[in-house]
Amino acid sequence: MDLRLKQLEAITRRHFLSANGLGLGAIALSSMTGGATATPPVSPRIDPTHPLAQRQPHFEPRAKRVIYLHLTGSPPNLDLFDYKPELVKRDGQDCPAEFLEGRTFAFTSGVPKLMGTPRTFRQYGESGAWLSDAVPHFHAADIVDEMCFVHSMYTDQFNHAPAELLIYTGSPRSGRPSMGAWATYGLGTENQDLPGFVVLISSGVQPNGGANSYGSGFLPSVFQGVQCRSQGDPVLYVSNPGGMDRDLRRRSLDALKTLNELQAAELGHPETLTRIAQYELAYRMQVSVPEVMDISRETQATLDMYGAKPGASSFANNCLLARRLVEQGVRFVQLFDWGWDFHGTNEGSGLTKGLTDKCATMDKPIAALIRDLRQRGLLDDTLIVCGGEFGRTPFREGRTAKSKILGRDHYPDCFTMWMAGGGVRGGLHYGATDELGFRVVENKVHVHDLQATILHLLGLDHQRLTFRFQGRDYRLTDVHGNVVEDLLA
Amino acid sequence: MRDRSPQLRLAQRLAASPVLTSVLCVVLALPAIATAADRVDFNRDVRPILSNNCFACHGPDEATLSGELRLDKPDRATAPLPSGAVAIVPGKPDESELIARITAEDDSLRMPPAEFGKRLSPADIATLRKWIEQGAPYAVHWSYRPPQRPAVPPVPASHAAWAQNPIDHFTLQAMLARGLKPLPEADRYALVRRVFLDLTGLPPTIEETDAFAANNAPGAYEQLVEELLARPTFGEHWARKWLDLARYADSAGYADDPPRTIWAYRDWVIRAINSGMPFDQFTIEQIAGDLLPSPTEDQLIATAFHRNTLTNNEGGTQDEEFRNVAVVDRVNTTFAVWMGTTMACAQCHTHKYDPITQEEYFRFFAIFNNTADADRRDESPLLELYTPQQLEQRRELEAQIARLRESGDQEALEKATAALKEIKPYTTVPIMRELTDKPRQTRLQHRGNYLDLGPVVEPGVPQIFHPLPPDQPPNRLVVASWLVDRANPLTARVAANRLWESLFGQGIVASSEEFGSQGELPTHPELLDWLAVELMDSGWDTRHLIRLMVTSATYRQSSQVTPAAAAADPDNRWLTRGPRVRHSAEMIRDQALAASGLLCRKLYGPPVKPPQPKLGLSAAFGSSTDWTPSQGEDRYRRALYTTWRRSNPYPSMATFDAPNREVCTIRRNRTNTPLQSLVTLNDPVYVEAAQALARLALAQPGDEREQLIYAFRRCVLRHPTEEELTALVDLYRDALAHFAERPVEATKLATDPLGPLPPELKAQQAAAMTVVGNVLLNLDEMFLKR
Repeated sequence: MDLRLKQLEAITRRHFLSANGLGLGAIALSSMTGGATATPPVSPRIDPTHPLAQRQPHFEPRAKRVIYLHLTGSPPNLDLFDYKPELVKRDGQDCPAEFLEGRTFAFTSGVPKLMGTPRTFRQYGESGAWLSDAVPHFHAADIVDEMCFVHSMYTDQFNHAPAELLIYTGSPRSGRPSMGAWATYGLGTENQDLPGFVVLISSGVQPNGGANSYGSGFLPSVFQGVQCRSQGDPVLYVSNPGGMDRDLRRRSLDALKTLNELQAAELGHPETLTRIAQYELAYRMQVSVPEVMDISRETQATLDMYGAKPGASSFANNCLLARRLVEQGVRFVQLFDWGWDFHGTNEGSGLTKGLTDKCATMDKPIAALIRDLRQRGLLDDTLIVCGGEFGRTPFREGRTAKSKILGRDHYPDCFTMWMAGGGVRGGLHYGATDELGFRVVENKVHVHDLQATILHLLGLDHQRLTFRFQGRDYRLTDVHGNVVEDLLA
Repeated sequence: MRDRSPQLRLAQRLAASPVLTSVLCVVLALPAIATAADRVDFNRDVRPILSNNCFACHGPDEATLSGELRLDKPDRATAPLPSGAVAIVPGKPDESELIARITAEDDSLRMPPAEFGKRLSPADIATLRKWIEQGAPYAVHWSYRPPQRPAVPPVPASHAAWAQNPIDHFTLQAMLARGLKPLPEADRYALVRRVFLDLTGLPPTIEETDAFAANNAPGAYEQLVEELLARPTFGEHWARKWLDLARYADSAGYADDPPRTIWAYRDWVIRAINSGMPFDQFTIEQIAGDLLPSPTEDQLIATAFHRNTLTNNEGGTQDEEFRNVAVVDRVNTTFAVWMGTTMACAQCHTHKYDPITQEEYFRFFAIFNNTADADRRDESPLLELYTPQQLEQRRELEAQIARLRESGDQEALEKATAALKEIKPYTTVPIMRELTDKPRQTRLQHRGNYLDLGPVVEPGVPQIFHPLPPDQPPNRLVVASWLVDRANPLTARVAANRLWESLFGQGIVASSEEFGSQGELPTHPELLDWLAVELMDSGWDTRHLIRLMVTSATYRQSSQVTPAAAAADPDNRWLTRGPRVRHSAEMIRDQALAASGLLCRKLYGPPVKPPQPKLGLSAAFGSSTDWTPSQGEDRYRRALYTTWRRSNPYPSMATFDAPNREVCTIRRNRTNTPLQSLVTLNDPVYVEAAQALARLALAQPGDEREQLIYAFRRCVLRHPTEEELTALVDLYRDALAHFAERPVEATKLATDPLGPLPPELKAQQAAAMTVVGNVLLNLDEMFLKR
């Protein structure tokens, strides 16, 4: 058995005893003084034989599951969601010195030129949200009014890998558990025949942080994200070897079980029984995983709504898969879609045609996902989160300043993200940047605050969801983070 | 900020009132009623409570100190506070503000504050009360006192025959004190497999097993241990463990994660271990081999230890930022590996639990901040390595060139010069090189930010530890010697504990990565100190310590568990049975290849690429994560030689908890998951092993029973019981019947991916035996020492 799981079990067992059996002094005291009730447990109680079994959250959750849509590279929010007419007016002027002093940028030096958006913005929905023409599928009122925008996000990192690790693990360096791992560590998962934390990757490139962006860090590896694919084995090694059918697999697992039970009887190690259970679970996963990953079981109307095609590995397919997975009780589904790094170094990463084409692969499936979840009654307790790892500059990037193609550099000080569904206020526009989009001027939200808020929506207190490692109680938000109460429905 | 309730505001006003405080003090005399009469030990009983609950705000970090109270220092804890209260009044718990505050029922008064979500248990409160009653004596943290060799406790006559060496005296004493008893020696088959796997990472052959089982001569086991310690596979196995600490990988890390050529360092580790290099020399060469007088090529290669840090090649990154990150990693890794101390906290602020200030962190940083490497894409400085023949050729050509220069034969000179250039190194390795002309100045970095600099700091070591020699320049070489100095309280303990953990499954200090105040206390403190001193006295001979451990009766015990034994010592912390621990990812793979006869035993060389599934992905800004598998014997090398790509660790090994080696891993997880079952059932590497095992079994003379016994023994070495054999025979026959009607499937299962069957084998039999082999390679016993 895993040593850390054992420690966890021991700790939680002690805690359980002290809260229920031995803590009479404390109970007597609190009744004498009429004091506050005891605080709930600190660490989740992990059953080492069923580490993914469902666990009670710290408090009543608003969302039971999360679909996190990561647009790897970071989309240009000033050309999508954060309209800056003043920046358009001052297009081509030198960037004011106050925004450059003492700063370094990834690909820009000297004095760059301010750049207003080349996109057309209009207001949509009852909430009157300003959206650009790059995301036409978001213009419908039933979509945009479902979205809860945070225009005042900021981060500490302006290179992709560290920024991505910061947003997913709370630290810009590798080695910490990711958000989905923390969530499944805290809550377990509903369906024991599927992984609790599933990762879907599109556009052919893995995330900047590699497997660390969905890793389990120092948490037991059972909590790491399992990458599922629409081509080849949906989960690595889930298919029997060629020539072995399911009956023969069953027959061989029966023999394995018999042999292992003989060993368990002779040596008396409880872990042998755990291993027998793992093989049975693996056998069930051999059916349940290919089933849930098979989108050809969907109606043509549903496939069309998303723009999904069986056999492809697109963001559209992954959005549809995300719905199928949460419907089956997967706790955390993490999508990564490569290709949002809009530097303008080629037409594909330019703010006109490039952005139009890339958004066309994104806004339709996301709109379909929101509608599909809503019509299945899942949107109320499924949280959707969408965004990149940082923002993009209000000025033109240095390398491409003389090119015809427009692009923006990396920018950590402000960016927009949006959420929808499970417990957030649809139609809300929270926080604001200044008239040029350089600074947050209202309600700053750090990525640690976003993490605290996501955990809060899942019924977890980010300060109490901790894991002891190398002598320290670690948590997703490190030593930071505040829940943004204003976002909560 | 959240709104505060009116009640809370009222409570805060009242908190200032002396009346309420005294009322609470009266109420709070209660929980101390039920306590034992024992003497409270500061390190064992008190420090963990203070460290876990109080030091974050009342510990060494003055910057975030709350209410000017420090509880880690006796003079500060007993001094009057600005409010006039005294936290600890020795001998007088009722006058101690600490007791009043930890027992306060009012959320706004009680410590730790409610938002920490923690509340001291009645038992903890009682302990603190008793400690204050007894005069609140403080003590230096146990691991900061240099170890002294304790007397070996006597063994009672009842167990005189059991004990083999001093280790057993200590473990027995701890067992008997708790009413526990040891088990007798494991059976010969279990023992031989255990010691082979622990020393070499590979199982014995059937022949080696039978030879040992038949050898009842006294000293047969000790003789076997000697033989295993001398095998080259010993160095491979123990190098693998060190490579986790060294965060060795064959890629540079971060987003694009390009390949990095550094395998000469991996081979250096294997050779160093196999040559029996003492641990102090092993330390000095890796930390500062380049600063030794006239360093040899090997001593330079050794310094690649600290060149295993990541290099960020992502476009737009600042090299100076990631050079700093690498130095930070070197500081943290050095402290973690040698001294079991978490330094990472002190990078941003003074350590909250251990007495290490942020300034001291950067003084140590300064020692590592003076090397020539600087997050460059080419990984310079590099050392070029040539074979002896190449070196000979180079010498000849250089001599020739010198002669030709004198003779003036221009044509011949050009030819020779070109020939010299043609001789390319067979590999290169990044090394450490000290900057001598322009040493870097180190400044304190506020909040660990390399752009936010504070005052200049001089190189040095934290004050809590022994000082550097005053007459030498404080550089890496001096620090390397400081690490293995007799006065260093931690290095020998940490090293001995890690060896113990490797063999027994968990360390005497279970938190092998943390010996500071946030770590676990040792279960057998005297044994740990005895081992630490023995290690130093033996001339830092790690092999000597390993030999002592594996020849102890404690190690040799049977691993059988009765329900009563499991209840009495559930986690085997008191060593009442033999170790039974899941193998590492590498051992699981190597064992399957060994059992099936596929394993290639070639040592050393460039990393290999065994088959892995194609994922059709690229690294961010990098190349494909898929690879073309190696051909021939390189498919079957020991897992140690598998190309270690940080952003995409070899998937089947990652599933068995192999780390990605981005940072130093002191202790791996050991999980048990269904994804692991899928690997060993279906990964083509394991299917191929089952096919090879089947062919070996079917090539055996005799009937199917004998062939099945052979296959079984190739995996677990012992003989099957009659029941086990029946289960195997039944499975084999069922599979035969299954394939009788399915020739295509039979051929597929018997040959893909291993290749066509030899002419004398029938697909039906080979497929059926492959099914059996697949089951055997998945036996619970295959994942564990027995």
